[in-house]
Amino acid sequence: MPASAANNRPEDLTARLGVGAGAAQGEALLKALREVKNQIIGNKTKKLLYLHLGAVPKIVSVLAAAAASSSSDSGGISRGGDAAVIVQAAAAIGSFACGVEDGVRAVLDAGAVPHLTSILSHDDEKVVDAGARSLKMIFQSELAPKYDVLQEKNLNFILSLLDSDNENVTELAASIIAHSCETNEQQKALCDAGVLLRFVSLLGGSSNQKDGCLESIAAVIKNNPEVSSRFSCTGNGKALNALANLIQDRYPHTRLLACKCLIAVGHASPCYVEELQIKTKLVLVLVELLEEPGRVGNEAPFSLKTLIADDEELHKQALSVNAIEKLCSILQMSSVQARRLQGILLALAELCSKLEKCRCQLMSPQVLNLIVDALKHDCMDVRVAACDCIRNITRSLKNLSAGCLSSEAFIVRLVQLSHDPSTSVQIAALGALCNIVINCATRKSVLIKCGGVSQLVQLSKSMDSALRSRSVLALRNLMFLADITDKEFILKELTLCTLASLIYDSECSIQEQALALTSDLVDGCSQSVKHVLAEDSIILDAVMRQLQNASSIGVCIQGMFVLSNIAAGSESDKDTVMNYLVPPHTDSCIPSFTIKFLQSKDILLRVASLWCFVNLTDPASVGSSRRVARLQDAGIVLQLKSMLNDPCLDCKLRVRMILEQCMELETAQA
Amino acid sequence: MPVRVVESSTPSQDSGLESRTGRPPPPSCSLLSAGRAFSGTQNVSSLQKDEAWKVNVRIQGIDLDNGYLCGTMEALNVPLADTPVVTFWEGELVDGNNFTFFTRKWEATPEDDIRHWSKFPSFAPLLSQVEADGGKNMDLSNYPYIFMRWKEQYFVNVGIDCGLTIAGFYYVCFSCSDGSINGFYYDPNSSPFQKLELKCIPGGCSGYTFSSYQLL
Repeated sequence: MPASAANNRPEDLTARLGVGAGAAQGEALLKALREVKNQIIGNKTKKLLYLHLGAVPKIVSVLAAAAASSSSDSGGISRGGDAAVIVQAAAAIGSFACGVEDGVRAVLDAGAVPHLTSILSHDDEKVVDAGARSLKMIFQSELAPKYDVLQEKNLNFILSLLDSDNENVTELAASIIAHSCETNEQQKALCDAGVLLRFVSLLGGSSNQKDGCLESIAAVIKNNPEVSSRFSCTGNGKALNALANLIQDRYPHTRLLACKCLIAVGHASPCYVEELQIKTKLVLVLVELLEEPGRVGNEAPFSLKTLIADDEELHKQALSVNAIEKLCSILQMSSVQARRLQGILLALAELCSKLEKCRCQLMSPQVLNLIVDALKHDCMDVRVAACDCIRNITRSLKNLSAGCLSSEAFIVRLVQLSHDPSTSVQIAALGALCNIVINCATRKSVLIKCGGVSQLVQLSKSMDSALRSRSVLALRNLMFLADITDKEFILKELTLCTLASLIYDSECSIQEQALALTSDLVDGCSQSVKHVLAEDSIILDAVMRQLQNASSIGVCIQGMFVLSNIAAGSESDKDTVMNYLVPPHTDSCIPSFTIKFLQSKDILLRVASLWCFVNLTDPASVGSSRRVARLQDAGIVLQLKSMLNDPCLDCKLRVRMILEQCMELETAQA
Repeated sequence: MPVRVVESSTPSQDSGLESRTGRPPPPSCSLLSAGRAFSGTQNVSSLQKDEAWKVNVRIQGIDLDNGYLCGTMEALNVPLADTPVVTFWEGELVDGNNFTFFTRKWEATPEDDIRHWSKFPSFAPLLSQVEADGGKNMDLSNYPYIFMRWKEQYFVNVGIDCGLTIAGFYYVCFSCSDGSINGFYYDPNSSPFQKLELKCIPGGCSGYTFSSYQLL
């Protein structure tokens, strides 16, 4: 049996690494390094094994020693031998850092970066290449150190790398910039130093160089209007033209990165990527890239979503190039990787956010089942994306009313997700539930049966305002046109005390939702008025207090609808509202807040207030004459008369209704 | 047809009356809002017999910007059915922008349109302008009637083999002052001018109530 086979065991090889006594020297060391490097390349298991054996610090020490020796004045074979050792050691270090987080950590902890950096100025080009490639691997990891380019020495170092003729070195510079550039100040400093110009000149290089430059350009211009504008003006549009050409590059990864750059320009300085033509091209390229394997296919849907965000015209473009079909067909593949699945669902969610056509395309049982499956995914981001998808699909009143999405599976799963340990998932699940409970008794019933109401009530007391807001909205939508039994159940779970505290919530938007919930509670349901008056009128007091505070127009509108709905009830209900609006023995010099509302610029506030008076002056009610007299004394009738020519037709018609009712009452009395 | 997120069932919360887009503002009325119910009859008389079905309508949602609304229609005492028949319909608001008085589909010619709209007394003042160009860019935001077309899309609670048809559509006129609705059913294969007459249901025991939801 050959002796070398036994000596190539990881333990033996590791023992031969390092400096000093016990470690191999010269050719033996070189062989050991080469053997380790060959074993670990592309082999995660072997990397972890060697990490465990402590190989990394030993290899770094070999590198350090060889680099130091190589930089001294010794020449000839020794220097050549050092170069060979450096190359193998650097390659091995780079390999440890490639795709293995523990490897990156070990390499950084062992202090490899300064030594690798020092060999970038070596005479031997192979050494420089090895160092640059190794550092590039390290800088692909989030754990790599960041170079603050606001420090002159760091900026000068990067600029020196960028000026190199060696492609590996310029690629390294691009990696460092892409990794380190975070703030607007850093972006500006790099731009001022001419880095973007240099990148544009390098876009004609090899594929790797192009890709490196594109990633860095995106990092430097991202969300920075000034830098983005300067880039776009470079060479009279030469830079933008270069990017536009690269979206048709032969390599998918380059096409993706070029798209990302143009998207970044479009967001930071929209006027430079305004033309529909270029945006349409970007949509087409990205939709084609959806089907690419690997990282390109994983990232393409994210870029598509970013490109088309909030842009209905681009949604239509995407639809016209069959984006939905492609996204759905990928969704239907077996074992889609989590990142890609998240991207697909987010892109679908974006497409469904505005266009009914898109929502209808997702209505097949097959696709819906896949989305339900995604609700159960291990990856939190996928669950969030699936919820967002459902939320946007359910913006379709047509589909909601058709009874689509009425399967228990959806609703039960969404309620389960509202218990998720991650707040993001809870918020996303609540968003879907808000829409799904509208307009369908079956869905409301499923939600109630599976304990959804108690969970919504629980979340309405959360410290997190997003959770509170969405859970209250879901309860409101649940209450809309619910039957009396369900209304009573919801209120029993919620309790008057919690409802009152929500009406007093610190956030105006939550106050508004709570008031709308109350309005829906008493809508058409005279028995429910008793709840509003129960426990010493805790709810009605809260409504009145908020109307008087008038924290927002929305709060006032919903508050007035509550009063209006109560005033549509019995005689005593009308009198209750009347006493709140125009308290007896009030100083008539102080205008009632309702007069202010009637004078509001907001049409809906005027309308809501007017309906309240329509109901209070209903001629069929016995006490209406009495109420009219009080309204007269409070100056409200005068205010109403001044609104006969209100610019809003709806207001005008209600004013006429009220005044006609008043006249009818007057005539009846006479 | 694109449908934007329908926010609240109550009319647009714009504080001003001027259109931000330069187009005429959409017609709107607080009695034409999601949740509102209407009740009345549809006359389905033919030469053979007089017949009227009781009808209940509920608005499910309304999107003024896109001139879209939808709802359900429930027909009671339908001879061919054991239970009330419920359909889901989608509506087009004639706003001079998204939709004009000319239907341009559903086998309705402009002549059919004029003939039907003219059955509504409230249409008379608009006739000459509509004859010219269908009422394109007509500002109806201050007109006390809202004109719509309602097209039933599917049966909610019965099969398509129930013996009933939803092939046609309704020309609808809504009165902003009292929420009453009149309509005429148009289907080349059915008896002409079947009339729909609905009154707005106030909701409360003595007054009008309002409810709303918000899509996220």
